[in-house]
Amino acid sequence: MSINENQRLSSESEIGEAKKGVGWGDYIVPVVVFVFCAVVIAIAMTLEEAIPLIVGHSMQPRVFPIFLMAVIAVLNVALIFQIVRSPVSRRDWEPIQTWASAGLLLLFFLLAKYIDTLVALVIVMFMMSIVWGERRIWVAAILALGTTAFIFFSFDQILQVRFPRGLLTDAYYG
Amino acid sequence: MLTDALGAMFSVLGDPSLLLLIFITTIGGVIIGALPGLGATTGAALLLPFTLTMDPVHAITVLTTIYVSATFAGSITAILINTPGTAAAAATCLDGYPLAQRGEAGRALGIAVVASTIGGIFSVVVLAIAAPLLARVAYEFRPPEYFALTIFGLAMLASISQGGAIRNLMGGVFGVWLATIGADATTGVERFMFGNYDLYEGLNFIPVLVGLFAISELLVQSTTLNQVFERISMKAVKLPTMADYRKIWKAVLRSCGIGTFIGILPAEGATVASMIGYSEAKRWSKTPEEFGKGAVEGVAGAEAANNAATGGAMVPTLVLGIPGSGTTAVILVGLLVHGLRPGPHLFTEQIEKVYAIFGAMFVANVMFFILGLFAAKLFARVTLVPRGMLWPVVLAFSVLGAYSLDQAMVDVYIALIFGVIGYLFRRFGFALAPVAIGLILGEMVETNLQNSLKMFDGQWWMIPMQPLAALFLVLAVLGISQPYILGYLSRRKAAQQQK
Repeated sequence: MSINENQRLSSESEIGEAKKGVGWGDYIVPVVVFVFCAVVIAIAMTLEEAIPLIVGHSMQPRVFPIFLMAVIAVLNVALIFQIVRSPVSRRDWEPIQTWASAGLLLLFFLLAKYIDTLVALVIVMFMMSIVWGERRIWVAAILALGTTAFIFFSFDQILQVRFPRGLLTDAYYG
Repeated sequence: MLTDALGAMFSVLGDPSLLLLIFITTIGGVIIGALPGLGATTGAALLLPFTLTMDPVHAITVLTTIYVSATFAGSITAILINTPGTAAAAATCLDGYPLAQRGEAGRALGIAVVASTIGGIFSVVVLAIAAPLLARVAYEFRPPEYFALTIFGLAMLASISQGGAIRNLMGGVFGVWLATIGADATTGVERFMFGNYDLYEGLNFIPVLVGLFAISELLVQSTTLNQVFERISMKAVKLPTMADYRKIWKAVLRSCGIGTFIGILPAEGATVASMIGYSEAKRWSKTPEEFGKGAVEGVAGAEAANNAATGGAMVPTLVLGIPGSGTTAVILVGLLVHGLRPGPHLFTEQIEKVYAIFGAMFVANVMFFILGLFAAKLFARVTLVPRGMLWPVVLAFSVLGAYSLDQAMVDVYIALIFGVIGYLFRRFGFALAPVAIGLILGEMVETNLQNSLKMFDGQWWMIPMQPLAALFLVLAVLGISQPYILGYLSRRKAAQQQK
């Protein structure tokens, strides 16, 4: 196997199993990119105009982002041609653990925002250990509690980092 | 001045605290590099917040030591379990694993350690010589030249190995757009902030990098939980024999040059270097048919090149402020956070610090040589750590790392968002290094374009009229078209061979 073949295969199989033939994943990217470019350009058009400079001419703040989106759109057209010429992937859906892990990131956000960052960290670490295959509940619990405690005290005492106020931190900071 | 600089470089040897720091960080770097999924970039991004209270030299030493030691350590798992610990060790799998299957894992690791050390030290020497020389040239650069140079840096993203040219360029431009979020540096006009004044000064680099590299990797790892690694046991690492040295010395020397040169090119990195180092070792070998079956030159060529790229990649990072790779993008953020603004002025105003960093990189290469020889077997065992225990800890460090810079929860949310964005990018074949490089170059691109337009009173066509800027822009066009030219040439060659 040549080095290029190996590179291509390793890149293709990085996430999910690649199968031959055109799949939804191949065209969803260009569609999303076009929508993104259109939205950014629309927002950029609403940006306020800057006062002209006294000396020399420069560009308005909206120009550069619009230019960037135009470049991405042109590259996106090239990407579509590339996909049409050589369709590569039809991939399986993510396994349940990936959805669960993404869900735990969302759970972390909600717990950190509305309850306490440290509580969020303990709960999410514990649940992630279980989701990722740790069968010993006590190991997952010790890992979650121990890591959070270590991080809290090392950041608080050594790095002088103050954590955001919440259920536990209110009790600690007073 | 040169003697002062060299004195600063070797002052590292007389600083026990720095030596201890390099020793500990090398152990950390080798562990990080040996763990599949946790490469040099992720490791540096995770450790960056921990360096905030250190003095600049110690902080950058931590990051560069992680860089060189993790780049080497990727070879441990590449050889023993056929899974590169870092992308830069992918080429090492091709011959390292077959050697291990033949019962020669210790020999393969010994060759990897020696080749990596030679490559790393060679590149540090080149860095110490080339960086100040390039800085003198860069002193003459004005905004048009800097603008053209950053365009060249972005264009070179086209030839990064992962993803493909178009996707890489799209990722790079997306990164540049991310840098436009916040108040416009010249006019103060708010852009894409949606009323959130935490974003007034733009996106903080650290949470974005932590999200892109660490949290997205967590999601990637969650897709491979059912994967079972086949481990090959090993007695001890063996130093190469004289016969081995006779076989590999040419490949090592060639890869030292290739790796350092590739590293110096903006946006290229150790992954590209190791692939080319491996290909060239095969091309010049007297026994190319042995490649893929356990050729020691293959291991040596790939490993010397990827470590040679580490010093090379530091050249544009320090001299021009243009990251030479994903990891140097993180190191560049570290420099900025610690008040060391990369550029030619760094070499006149803070030359002692720069040379102390070079010295630390040199020592780090020696440290991983010693650790690699005597403790590689031990480090290989870190792959036995269950992922259900490792990755929740990585998540915790990611979250706290993102938070610690400004002590603002918005940075944590940004890291989480970019974790998901990074995962989706990789899911659909986009590499993340271009996004990081684009983000870091973004402000430089726009500011230098604005300043150039001011210089020429809005006449943009005057930019390519400047000779040096024109040279960089021509190189940029070549950089973009290079994958297609090479593809055309290889197709033509293949067609001729078929005839």
